Amino acid sequence: MEIRKTFHQQLEDLYLDLLKMANITVDTIEKARRAFANLDAELAREIIDGDDVVDDYVKKIDENGVEMLARQAPVAIDLRTIIVIMRLATHLERVADLCVNISKAIQNLGDYKLSPWISENIDEMFKRAVRMLVTAVESFKERDEAKAESLVEMDDTVDRINRSFLTGTDRESEEEVDLVIRVVMVARFIERIADHAVDIGEEVRYMVTGHFVT
Amino acid sequence: MPEEALENKMVIKDLSMYYTDFKAIEDVTFDVPARRITALIGPSGCGKSTLVRCLNRMNDLIEGVRVEGEVVLDSENVYQQGFDTIGLRRRVGMVFQRPNPFPKSIYENVAYGPKLVGIKDKEELDFIVEDSLKKAALWHEVKTILRESGQNLSGGQQQRLCIARVIAVQPEVILFDEPCSAIDPVATQLIEDLMAELKENFTMVIVTHNMQQAARVSDFTAFMLVQEQGQPGRLIEYGDTNTMFTNPSDERTERYITGRFG
Repeated sequence: MEIRKTFHQQLEDLYLDLLKMANITVDTIEKARRAFANLDAELAREIIDGDDVVDDYVKKIDENGVEMLARQAPVAIDLRTIIVIMRLATHLERVADLCVNISKAIQNLGDYKLSPWISENIDEMFKRAVRMLVTAVESFKERDEAKAESLVEMDDTVDRINRSFLTGTDRESEEEVDLVIRVVMVARFIERIADHAVDIGEEVRYMVTGHFVT
Repeated sequence: MPEEALENKMVIKDLSMYYTDFKAIEDVTFDVPARRITALIGPSGCGKSTLVRCLNRMNDLIEGVRVEGEVVLDSENVYQQGFDTIGLRRRVGMVFQRPNPFPKSIYENVAYGPKLVGIKDKEELDFIVEDSLKKAALWHEVKTILRESGQNLSGGQQQRLCIARVIAVQPEVILFDEPCSAIDPVATQLIEDLMAELKENFTMVIVTHNMQQAARVSDFTAFMLVQEQGQPGRLIEYGDTNTMFTNPSDERTERYITGRFG
């Protein structure tokens, strides 16, 4: 006989809120990718305005999570799940914030013409970051430790492309310094999104195994 | 962090107990580390009270009880032929679910045990009574009413009086069988704090229905379960309390402590 039905229903609701928040965040990165590819200031504006929705989710998840910790004294897998959901919400919120930063950079890029090298590499970073976040969320849903761990390797490529922006932009000598700085910043923002995906993987590994990953 | 090596005060080895033909517990094996609190948890009827009563042979008094296996106290099996059971119950004291002070004064309740073992000196008895009541965190509430009946105290005070009565005979191990189930939450917190303080001098085993109490007070937790009706209670998992409540190994432990059955 299940004896904590109400509590487990609350936990299920918390879990569903996190998945909704994750879907919105993944969509936001994808939008940021399109906004950058087309230097679409309108789409960038939409991303900035939409950030409130993500903030509302993290607030709701934190409030409900704290209440459950205080009132239900969860243990074992329930305790680890609630802690991890709350941490994941924080990571997702930061990812959304980074998309806002990227959108502001896009607005400031105005009418610059981006070289194919920049466009292709930023686009590649975006696609990899999206894939990483999707993988991170899947590993959470499927409680898949191996999938969570695979994010570490996926991150290496994103780091490598990011570094190439620091060394590789020399070849774009005709481009203005202002543009280069903004592009390097965007690359750095995407690289940090990928880092959050890796961190989510570490949280999932804790949730599954009960051992902290550093 | 390096774990300090724990000395075992008691070792339970392959312990089974029968009420005539009915096997109540089967093949239970675990250690009771010295100066630590070990909690026994599990659903009603899993044999945890039966088990704790085996530790000082309280079950001997019930007709038809038969025990197999060993309960080792300081390297001696308490079930071996000729073992001094009276001495055993002095060395392994017990606090029960319902506070049961004698119908005597507070002073006499605590002095009763020491008098029984032959202490007559008034000054020595006074010292033991004061010291035991202090250790049981009751002294300040009763020092001016020592001659009043122990049964006039509140439930929580009565339970601490019973703890003082056990402490007075200087046991090595104290067994608590649901010590807080008949007292209010504030008194419960007092008893839990008291147990933490008593760890310095005593080894304790607590049977509790309240899983959160086990999580709060104990260092080690043993989870017992009857798999199917009519079967004996078995030990499912034993480990340090932190691990048991954050990351238990056995799925049945996890399902029980998270309330997925019970």
